[in-house]
Amino acid sequence: MRAPRLKTAIAVAAAAALALAAAGCAESGRDPEAPKKDTLVFGVAGDAKVLDPSFASDGESLRVARQIFETLVQPEEGGAKIVPGLATSFTPDSTGLVWTFKLKTGVKFHDGTDFNAEAVCFNFNRWFNYSGLLQSPDVSSYWQDIFGGFAKSEDPKLPPSLFKSCTVKGADTAEIAITSVTSKFPAALALPSFSMSSPKALKDFEADKIGGTAESITYPKYATDSPVGTGAYKFEAWDRANKVIKLTKFDNYHGEKAKIKNLHFKTLTGSAKQSLEAGDIDGYDLVAPADQKALKDAGYNLLPRPAFNILYLAINQSGNPALAKPEVRQAIAHAINKKAIIDSKYPIGSEVAINFQPPTVPGHNPGVTKYDYDPTKAKALLASAGVTGLKLKFHYPTEVTRPYMPAPKDIHEMMVADLKAVGIEVEAIPLKWNPEYLNAVQTGKNHDLHLLGWTGDYGDAYNFIGTFFDRAKDEWGFTNQALFDQFKAADKEPDINKRVELYKALNAELLKFLPGVPIAHGPNALVLGKNVTGVKPSPLTNERYASAEFK
Amino acid sequence: MTALARKKIAKLERLAELAAVHSKEQGESLWREALKRVRRNPSAIVGASILGVFILIAVLGPFLVPYDPGQIGVGIPFGLEVKEGQAIYPGPNSEFWLGLDHQGRDMFSRMIVGARQTLLVGVVATAIGLTLGCLIGGIAGAAYGLGGKRGRTIDNVLMRFIDMLLAMPSLLLAISLVALLRPSLMTVMIAVGFISVPIFARLLRGAMIAQSNAEYVVAATSLGVHKRKIALSHILPNSIAPVLVQATLTLATAIIEAAGLSFLGLGNPDSSQAEWGTMLADGLFNSRFDYAPHLALFPAIGIIITALGFTLLGEAMREALDPKLRK
Repeated sequence: MRAPRLKTAIAVAAAAALALAAAGCAESGRDPEAPKKDTLVFGVAGDAKVLDPSFASDGESLRVARQIFETLVQPEEGGAKIVPGLATSFTPDSTGLVWTFKLKTGVKFHDGTDFNAEAVCFNFNRWFNYSGLLQSPDVSSYWQDIFGGFAKSEDPKLPPSLFKSCTVKGADTAEIAITSVTSKFPAALALPSFSMSSPKALKDFEADKIGGTAESITYPKYATDSPVGTGAYKFEAWDRANKVIKLTKFDNYHGEKAKIKNLHFKTLTGSAKQSLEAGDIDGYDLVAPADQKALKDAGYNLLPRPAFNILYLAINQSGNPALAKPEVRQAIAHAINKKAIIDSKYPIGSEVAINFQPPTVPGHNPGVTKYDYDPTKAKALLASAGVTGLKLKFHYPTEVTRPYMPAPKDIHEMMVADLKAVGIEVEAIPLKWNPEYLNAVQTGKNHDLHLLGWTGDYGDAYNFIGTFFDRAKDEWGFTNQALFDQFKAADKEPDINKRVELYKALNAELLKFLPGVPIAHGPNALVLGKNVTGVKPSPLTNERYASAEFK
Repeated sequence: MTALARKKIAKLERLAELAAVHSKEQGESLWREALKRVRRNPSAIVGASILGVFILIAVLGPFLVPYDPGQIGVGIPFGLEVKEGQAIYPGPNSEFWLGLDHQGRDMFSRMIVGARQTLLVGVVATAIGLTLGCLIGGIAGAAYGLGGKRGRTIDNVLMRFIDMLLAMPSLLLAISLVALLRPSLMTVMIAVGFISVPIFARLLRGAMIAQSNAEYVVAATSLGVHKRKIALSHILPNSIAPVLVQATLTLATAIIEAAGLSFLGLGNPDSSQAEWGTMLADGLFNSRFDYAPHLALFPAIGIIITALGFTLLGEAMREALDPKLRK
């Protein structure tokens, strides 16, 4: 009985395959006279978490928020420099503590209400007065990163709030007072988490009525089904069954109106590249480096973003005692062939890092001490430091790729070979990215070398070098008070031009001190269909699809 | 107990019984007779030849490689550079027979030195499983066969523990073990060896129990030979045959399981050592398979052929020992 049954099965399978093939042919022979497309479907890797941007810190939520909402200041199109957004100008007083924001007039929220100074202050006061679960680091993550605490901070570990008050000085003028001068303000206001929501909608949909527990949060209706901003697209529906967020054109938009009527964000389950090739989607983000050339050659609109990240090789000076010697760190820097790593592992457009920040951000200093690939010099430096038989623990993450780190294991392997060539032995320690790896290298103490990087949040150098080095951290294992003070001085400088000079000096100092080795800036890319034009890639992933159009 | 475990146990019990059946033919030992049958079996010859080649490569590997298997960018002087970001992976060519891997190392050399690592893991793991399994199985078998009531209790305790291990899917058990200890070459060997413990234990115990009723044991007992001596020098040597057969079969699974662990990233963290499972995983990472299928294909073929060799030989030996299959 066995054989006949098998034969039947094969016959059925063959018939099914034929039917499928026929269907495929029918589909590809589509009617060329079909009506012009009015929906741009963008494929995303995961579901958005929440649509109220003040609760969001994940890329997928913020991607949607950028289309619905706008911020007071924003990064320039295709760059990282801060330019006016909903505020036409922003000026500090002589102390640098009070900032006057002149607002654009004639701006409407999607619900028809006016955007004005009152709305600005309503939003700031709302964030400042978050209480209970809204103060959970998962909920108001960016507020806590930038502004620290709240009006009444419930966690005693939170620093005092940077935000002091917001005053309405007329319909189109808002005055925001802060408690100390910092590089974060106002640059960080460009983060989509600080988007302006409609006060009426916030009240109507009870935006602050959060439920559940810190482990499983129930978001209010405003955050899940009725976000209202001033953007070129307004929210239409979130089809959770099909994993699609549907936006539609806002006809009363104050700027240039959206060119494509509908914008959909569809969560993909299979291969994004195949979905694009099959025509199910019109674009997707974070194209695998290896796919970039193939897609470009096939005629798709590949949009590489200017690099806004850095991969560095971190050295823990509290690890192996030899690492506290500058010569040993310099030897490691000279031993590594950065160019070979970038040539073989990174996509086109990547570059060797010479600072701990990308060149797109003001403050980059091309005149710093450079550590070219020179194994002979590395050996000499080790010898002069009197170090022999050095064996270092070298951590690397498994199973992840990051735009700044396309293949951690391979990069690690190449570095190990380079280190071995100058006589440094390595114990490789692979760990899973989250939480094992991050814990081990950021809060653990038992590591010597590791690979890590950073993608910037906003266009200020402090967001890179300050994040890494402005205080003693277990990741680096050193205390250098002079350096920390230098950072503090730069952070407190209200004049942007002077601050950039201070950043340049800091970069020079860092490369002299050499707490780690900057390796690479790797641009990532998004891809759009062959017939989609008008989107400008942004280093901050701040693409707004209102300017997209079908050819 | 799961149906799977029950099936496994039944299969092992059957194999164990075979050892108790002795050839009636005069003057020929069980082994000699089995060897004769194996030599006539074509699948055994194929299996043995595969293994012969494999072992030869594994032993002589370092002398056979045309290039340093660890040298990154070995193709650069020949104008063959790997540029992963642009999906350029030079495939097989006259200079590098199996092409270059994702790091620009010679694939052919890595396949060859990978064989040694693979064989090493397989053999050591099997040895670990064999030793531990025989220890537990031997104690249980001797206790059951000769130890009376108390012996049966000892046997019961040991065997319930073994049944528990047997009920667990083996790869899952190995993964848990590696996760528990830290991934290293030794951990992989221990984990893979450990999962074959219940098989060897069950097998040896079954064979020993079957032997313990044999006439020569009864004779020895009635002559007053010490029980420990009976177990060690009479029963054990006559029960070990199926265990050794099983060891060749286990070698095959050990190789596959070790490769599986490496594939899952739980293998030897020293990635400069070429290992087929790791090579396979690397060949599939970052959608490399779309552009350079040879990176995954060659290690996969290597694993399949080697495992096939062990399985063919092992099965043939089992058949040769099985009186019901004798012609």
